[in-house]
Amino acid sequence: MRLFQRCITLAICFIPMFSHLAIAQEESYIEGLVVDFKSNQSVPGANVYWKNNPTEGVTTSPEGTFKLPYKKLPAFLIVSFIGYEQIEREITSRDLGKNLKIYLREDQLDLQEVTVNSTRPDQNVKSLDMGKSVVPIETIKNIPALFGEVDLLRSLQLLPGVQTAGEGTTGLFVRGGSADQNLLQIDGAPIYNPSHFFGFFSVFNPDAIHGVDFYKGNIPANYGGRISSLIDISLKEGNFDKIKGEGGIGTISSRLTVDGPLFSDKSSFVVSARRTYADLFLRLSSDPNINNNDLYFYDLSGKAVFKIGDKDKLTVSSYFGSDFLGLSGQFGFGWSNWMGAATWNRNISDRMFFDLNAYSSRYNYKVSFDDADNGFEWGNALGETGVKATWNYHFSEQTKVNWGSHLQFYHFASIDLNPAPNSAIQPLASNPFNGLQINPFVSLNHEISDKIGVEAGLRWSIYQQHGRGTSYTYEGNEPTPEAEIIDSLIFNRFERMKVYQGLEPRIAFRYLIREDLSLKIAANRAFQYLQVASNSSAGLPLDRWILAGTYIPPIRGDQFSVGLFKNFNKDTWEVSLEGYYKDMKNLIDLRQGASVLFTDRVETEILVGDGYAYGVEFLLRKNVGKTTGWFSYAYARTWRKIEGISFDRWYNPRFDRPHDLNLVLNHQFDKQWSANLTFVYTTGQAVTFPAGSYVVDSQRLPLYTGERNADRFPDYHRMDASVTWKNVNRGKKWRGSWNFSIYNLYGRKNPFSYQFTEIFNEQINFTPTSNDPITSRRPGTVMTYLFTFLPSLTYNFEF
Amino acid sequence: MKRIFIAIFIAICFSSCQEEVVLDLNTLEPIPVIEAIWTNVPNFNQVTITTSREYYDDSPNEVIEDAQVSVRNLQTGRSANFIYNEQLKKYLPSNNQIGQIGQEYELSVIIKDKAYVSKGVLLAPPILDSITYEFKDQRVFRDEGYYITLFGDIPFDKDNYYRLRVVKNDTLLNRRSDYLLFDDTFGTQILNRGFELGGFTFAAGDRVRLELFRLNKNAYDYLSQLVSLLFNDGGLFSPPPQNPVSNIFPLEHDGNVLGYFMVSPYIGASVLIEEED
Repeated sequence: MRLFQRCITLAICFIPMFSHLAIAQEESYIEGLVVDFKSNQSVPGANVYWKNNPTEGVTTSPEGTFKLPYKKLPAFLIVSFIGYEQIEREITSRDLGKNLKIYLREDQLDLQEVTVNSTRPDQNVKSLDMGKSVVPIETIKNIPALFGEVDLLRSLQLLPGVQTAGEGTTGLFVRGGSADQNLLQIDGAPIYNPSHFFGFFSVFNPDAIHGVDFYKGNIPANYGGRISSLIDISLKEGNFDKIKGEGGIGTISSRLTVDGPLFSDKSSFVVSARRTYADLFLRLSSDPNINNNDLYFYDLSGKAVFKIGDKDKLTVSSYFGSDFLGLSGQFGFGWSNWMGAATWNRNISDRMFFDLNAYSSRYNYKVSFDDADNGFEWGNALGETGVKATWNYHFSEQTKVNWGSHLQFYHFASIDLNPAPNSAIQPLASNPFNGLQINPFVSLNHEISDKIGVEAGLRWSIYQQHGRGTSYTYEGNEPTPEAEIIDSLIFNRFERMKVYQGLEPRIAFRYLIREDLSLKIAANRAFQYLQVASNSSAGLPLDRWILAGTYIPPIRGDQFSVGLFKNFNKDTWEVSLEGYYKDMKNLIDLRQGASVLFTDRVETEILVGDGYAYGVEFLLRKNVGKTTGWFSYAYARTWRKIEGISFDRWYNPRFDRPHDLNLVLNHQFDKQWSANLTFVYTTGQAVTFPAGSYVVDSQRLPLYTGERNADRFPDYHRMDASVTWKNVNRGKKWRGSWNFSIYNLYGRKNPFSYQFTEIFNEQINFTPTSNDPITSRRPGTVMTYLFTFLPSLTYNFEF
Repeated sequence: MKRIFIAIFIAICFSSCQEEVVLDLNTLEPIPVIEAIWTNVPNFNQVTITTSREYYDDSPNEVIEDAQVSVRNLQTGRSANFIYNEQLKKYLPSNNQIGQIGQEYELSVIIKDKAYVSKGVLLAPPILDSITYEFKDQRVFRDEGYYITLFGDIPFDKDNYYRLRVVKNDTLLNRRSDYLLFDDTFGTQILNRGFELGGFTFAAGDRVRLELFRLNKNAYDYLSQLVSLLFNDGGLFSPPPQNPVSNIFPLEHDGNVLGYFMVSPYIGASVLIEEED
């Protein structure tokens, strides 16, 4: 903490000094915008430099703009970007004062093979980013996929420091943090349950995504709310030129995306849809027990962009995704995510930019059971609405500041249980949870010298739990299941119930040892005011989110990291070695046998404790050329200590998997054929095995030592492969491609679970009945494994 | 409810991907397992004392035959001593003593100089009025057959923790899916409106006895955790497995003990299912 305070003090002291430096620089500049010739969309990350001075260039901003100092005119300006033909243009004094517009044409020879990246090639070494991965969506689309379903979150699991809960699942466990510690947002709006089909697929249609910025640590000060990671997803913007489309027909789902200009060349739209069709096949069955069932999920998303003059841009986007499982029209279980976001970007001046983002996100589930005696409808909803304003000021190329504020309103509705009219079940009464959070922030990014750069930020989160709600006072002030309630305080709407606040300093330094080698150090603090109260390792649709309150303090996460970053062979290869230590306070777990779904006194079921994690991550990556991909290895450990669990001693959560190795390879043989291969190796999950058995109530029970997760599954490894064939006939409007992929190429039986149970009649799934009684019984272990050698075929198309 | 979803999901996706394996497991030193039942009727009161053993060992668990067992009424101070019955391999109360409603009792078990104790209150029973049955056709989640409905009243506003046992043709139904445990989370009107035993199908000619117990919370929690453990598949959707928390404690020593002490009133009712016209 002392280190944080000193760094922040240092940063604040530097700001006026940098301003002075900026004013003192009286250089002359040319300014301009780089756009794609076909789509008229801006091109971020393009290289812009003078032909006679190629070493002192700039890259275009996220909006595609650039500002380049000059010494003498006329001179030849070079603009280049991977996948585009290089532009060389003479700039004379007559061009001064004009806003140059440089059009880049797609490189027809290489376009099919390259990975378009919005970052400069030496970003890995020269930026102040640590623990950050920018994963191009084209790379994600190339990775072999389970059931052929390209999955964003499953792709992120291939990065070092990211663990999965288990085979096939999409939950992310980043640097020792649990899944609810990841802020996963689309266009600035958080998504509370980013999974379909009980966690086996994520909610993102790859065709609808523009890109993803993934922060495992050193999250910038303008983001907050979760302590482990930020997964910042931006939906794709439509092109401004003509109507285009893309889509695919896969093994379990199909998808379609259409985009194009809207009203004029100043506005565009994109709409995407995806749906599974297992239920359509179920209906073909003649068996009424099968054809009456439903099982599907779908996603819909859309985005509209409006350019208002030269300085303003307005985008409006929305996403809706839903799952449903229905059995014979009697039982139904569905859940859905919805988010809507609007963003206004304004270039106030050539140095000052303003972004305003307003959003609302909602998650709900509903369970219904149609039965005269015990029927019910049960549902719950939770939502977050927020506004975030950010100002960016560029004092100079070396000094940039951003500041602003983020206002969040949480509303977690009361549990809604409505029995059928004559049901024996009585309605439930519970209280909602509401919270208001305001987060002013400021961040400075400054290149102190050619070698030393600093990014210093401060976020101040101020959180208030407020009414409507009830706060209980327990005997002895200890909320335990046995404690009597001695008082109940009822709060009206917006009446303050509990306040927490905390300063969240973020600081990072970079020292450029050589032009292609840098050392970076970062420290980061974050507070998290909401958690999932669950004792299972995978996220479930019914998971109950709870807000910080009288008895549940916010989580505090501190992360310290250091890393070496080097590029080779003209930035073709990049390599990094990062180490981190993370400290976590006020993590929650559930008491044994806790039931949190319906209770209004959830605090009585919760245990609070601490955790820490540390690790070393190595990444070797090749971004350009015919063969691309990465190799990563991480050694990572994570521990928890929660009173009431594992004899109050430190234990590993299930996702502690010390060794984690990933290999991702993509090779482009020619313009038509490409192949992909991934290999994953990790230590087995930390689990609890029995150390004996005993009999109670005529049931043979496994005996546990009381230590949690002291045993291990066998090591996990798997290889996936895919081959893609593309139709490269450029004359045709319709361009198709086929992708054939195999998940778990060599059919490894990686255990999903071990169940310690009695084996009846020497059959692992025997269910005794009066007609089929038990004739023998003995203790046994049944292993469940998933997805051995799973081929899938997908047809993708563009028009 | 979560269990239903998981079962459906697993049944749909993974039923064919299972096999039996043998793992190299640790083994704890044998731990005493005490299962004590104390009610207001004679035939249920008993104490069983066994020990734990290696997981894959399928021989019967060792029975401890030389323990000193008693249940003491904490209001009157009177104790009921239990005597080991070789034939039943259980301890039974001398003179067939029984508990009294409203009294608090303390269990004492001494095994080789190590004492274990537990307490419980014998609560008043709810009211059972009648049992009806009805033939129902097959539907989703329901087999064809006779279904029993229990009528009664729960007149209590606290300590509502119940176990219902079903005995069919003199055989106690004791699969893991046969446990019927309920509390007042969804109210106390469950018996007034008729509690249909939806998971149990009967045939004409079956003689069914229902046994209702009103438990202390710690015994109810023990059984709830026991059932949860029986359904725990060790996968991602299950909580980390733990032994059910016993309500029996070592007295002045650090030894471990497993099992539970159930103090409960007993009410039962029987019905013979006759074929409907």
